[in-house]
Amino acid sequence: MPDITSWLLSWAIVAGSAVLFVIAVVHLLVALVLIIPSWRILTRAGYAGALSLFHLVPVIGSFIVMAILAFGDWPAGEARRR
Amino acid sequence: MAELTALAGLLGLGGAFALVGLVLAGWMAWRIVEKAGLPGWAGLGAIALTLTAVGTVVPLVLLWVFAFMRWPRDEAGAETAGAAPRPLAPPSKALTDRRGWRLEGGGVSLAFDESAPIYRLTGGPAEQPTDLVVPDPSVGKPHARLLTAANRLGLEDLGSPGGTYIDGARLLPAHGPRDITAARTLKLGNVELALSRT
Repeated sequence: MPDITSWLLSWAIVAGSAVLFVIAVVHLLVALVLIIPSWRILTRAGYAGALSLFHLVPVIGSFIVMAILAFGDWPAGEARRR
Repeated sequence: MAELTALAGLLGLGGAFALVGLVLAGWMAWRIVEKAGLPGWAGLGAIALTLTAVGTVVPLVLLWVFAFMRWPRDEAGAETAGAAPRPLAPPSKALTDRRGWRLEGGGVSLAFDESAPIYRLTGGPAEQPTDLVVPDPSVGKPHARLLTAANRLGLEDLGSPGGTYIDGARLLPAHGPRDITAARTLKLGNVELALSRT
């Protein structure tokens, strides 16, 4: 007779893994939508485009990229403040 | 009851974090678009749109537009649009000015000539005969490098946090040496120095 507890546990693990996988894929897709334009903005500002990969960091990734652009001196030059 | 209180506290904390994040993002967006030459309110407005019914889709579209649009900073012929100083035109071959240079300001007067090809501008004590000392806490140790050759004077920033400016335009280490033969003022940190010929 199969052990119902272990059967339920197996299914819970499978279902949990599937949910985590879906979350990871969605996170990657959303990050990609941010990484592509950010890569170009960082490159135009004179920074390494790879800094846009900070978008992969959950929650604070976008803030890191924005802080680099907002508070750093752009190596490629900035427009004069109005 | 305790659960309800905890839930309300959690929602309040989350709301506070969201508000701080939104204000921070708006401020940073303002600064970023200003650096590209656009009005700051455009960046702030893009972030503020997340509060409206259009959600995050429109700000995301605006991010793509900003990334690929033409920035006023890059407009050719824009009057002093870039903070980076432009290289000066080469001097006339008839130029035979053999005088030295003088930097005055901040309580110091530094005279130098082409007897040495490189001088260091530093805020600390002189370590070499070619060190020119500008005693101010905002001046790096060393701060910048002066290059002399063929009646011309160059300046290279060495990355000091105080910053280096040529006639008000920021000079960064990435710019390399810039010709300042025709410049009038240099700024090292908080010290403004007038450049003249001796």
